[in-house]
Amino acid sequence: MGRKIIDIPLGSQHISLLEPIKFRFACENEKIVDVSSDVGFVHRGIEKACTTKFAYDAVPYVVARICGLCAITHSLAYTTAAESLLEGVVTRRAKYLRMLLVELDRIHSHMLCLSHTAENAGFEAMFMRIMGDRESVMDIQERITGNRVQFDYVSIGGVNRDITTDIEKEIRKTLAFIREKTHGYLEEFTTNWSLSLKFKGVGVLTLDEAYRYNAIGPLARAAGLATDVRSETDYLPYNEIGYEMRVGEGGDIYSRNIVRLFEILNSITMCENILGGLPEGEIQTKMKGKPTGEALVRLEAPRGELMYYIRGEGKAMLSRVRIKTPTFASIPAFIEVFKGSEYADAPAILASFDPCMSCTAK
Amino acid sequence: MWYSVKKAFTNLLSPPQTIDYPATPIKRVERYRGLIEYGEEHCIYCLKCEKACPPGAILFTHTDTPTENPKNKKSLAYDYNPHLCIYCGECVRACPKPNEALWQSEKKPGIGVKEDRVNERWFEVEGRKGS
Repeated sequence: MGRKIIDIPLGSQHISLLEPIKFRFACENEKIVDVSSDVGFVHRGIEKACTTKFAYDAVPYVVARICGLCAITHSLAYTTAAESLLEGVVTRRAKYLRMLLVELDRIHSHMLCLSHTAENAGFEAMFMRIMGDRESVMDIQERITGNRVQFDYVSIGGVNRDITTDIEKEIRKTLAFIREKTHGYLEEFTTNWSLSLKFKGVGVLTLDEAYRYNAIGPLARAAGLATDVRSETDYLPYNEIGYEMRVGEGGDIYSRNIVRLFEILNSITMCENILGGLPEGEIQTKMKGKPTGEALVRLEAPRGELMYYIRGEGKAMLSRVRIKTPTFASIPAFIEVFKGSEYADAPAILASFDPCMSCTAK
Repeated sequence: MWYSVKKAFTNLLSPPQTIDYPATPIKRVERYRGLIEYGEEHCIYCLKCEKACPPGAILFTHTDTPTENPKNKKSLAYDYNPHLCIYCGECVRACPKPNEALWQSEKKPGIGVKEDRVNERWFEVEGRKGS
C-alpha cells in the first residue's frame, strides 16, 4: 500500500483560533508533511486609507486601530517616522513615557499569549488566572492614557498625557504584583507537567531554520537567535533603562514560554527604572511643516520587528505608507515549524507563535 | 500534592475576579476619556478643532439662526457626533481656549438608537458641509 496524503484544513474559522487564519496541512497519518497558509481574512485597507483619507497628523490614530494588542507600537513607529521627516526633536520625558507604555503593552501581550498557551494545553484554570492578573496591567494603562485598549497616547511631537505621582504609585504597586505573579507562572511553566514536559520538543524551530526563514521576536530568541530591535536601534534609549536580551535554547513551545516570561520580568524592571529616572521637561514639542522625503523605522513590537516606511511629498497627505508586521514576516518560519509535527499539536504550536492576524492583514 | 490542596482551598476562599454587576457599579477611573463638551460663549470660531479631528466628528456648518456670539461672523453652528468621535482629545489640544470653549469630560455617550436618527442627522450635517 502506497503513501496516502490527506489534506486537513485548520481555519479560517476554528475553535482554537482567536482570529481568522487558514492553514492547509497535508498529513501522512498524523504527521504534517506540507503546509500552505492564507492570512488576508481581515484586510481593511488601512495603508490605502492612510494615503487617501487622512492627513499625516491623523494617521497615528488610524494605524493604532490596526491591532488592539500592540496599538501603541503601531502609532509609535509611525510617529517616529513622521518626526524624522519633520526633523523635530522629541523631549526625553516624552521618550521615557513612550517606552513605559510600550513595555506595559509588552507585559500584557505576553501574558495573553501565555494564557492561550495554557488553554491549549488544557489548563483552563491557568488561562483564567493569567487573564485575571492581566487586567491589572490594563487598569494602569487606563489610568495613564484614559483608555483600556485604544490608548491614543502618542501623537506627532510627544505624548498626550503626563503621569502624576498618584499614578506612579499605582504603577509601582501593580508592577510589584505582576512580578510576584510572574515568578509564580515561571514555577508553574517549568514544573507543571501540562505546561513543561508536554511542551518540550514540540513545535521546534532550530537556530539554522530561524536564520534561514527570517524568524523574529520571541520566536527567534527562543531558538537561540539573538535578534531584538531594541538593542539594534537608538530611537528610544533602551540602553539607559536596563534592557537585557534573553535568548533561549531548544526553540520549542516550552522555550518560547520561558523567553516570554523572562521578557515580562525584564519589562517590569525597565518600567520601574523608567519611573525612577523619569526626566523633567515638556511632554509635547510643536512640529511644523509637512513631511517631505522618506523614512523607515523599525520598532520591537511584542511579537517582533515592526517596520514602517512612509513617504511624503510636502503635502498633508502622505504618498505611501507601508507596514510590515511581525506575524507576516514570521509566516515562513511558522510553516517550517509545522512540517514534521503531529496534526494534534497544531493548535498549541500556533498559539505559541502568538500570531496577530489583524496586524498581518491590516 | 499538598501544594495543590493548599492552592485549591485558597482559590475556594479567595474573592472572584469579576464584579457583581449591576449591583456593584463599574469603577470609573479618574481622567477617563469621555465626551467632548463645548462652551459656545467662549468659542472664537477659529475652526482648529474641526481641522484637528481625525475622524471628522466635529463640523461647523452654516446656519440661518446663528448664536449671538460676536466672534461668529460667518453664521456657523457647531455639530458633534459622539458616535463617530474616537475620544483622542486632539480637538481640545488644538483649541486656543481649552477648558472654556472645548473640554473633555468624563461622561459616557448615550446609546445611539434608531429613533434618535443618529446616522441620518449626521449625514444631513455632512451634506450641509459639503454643499
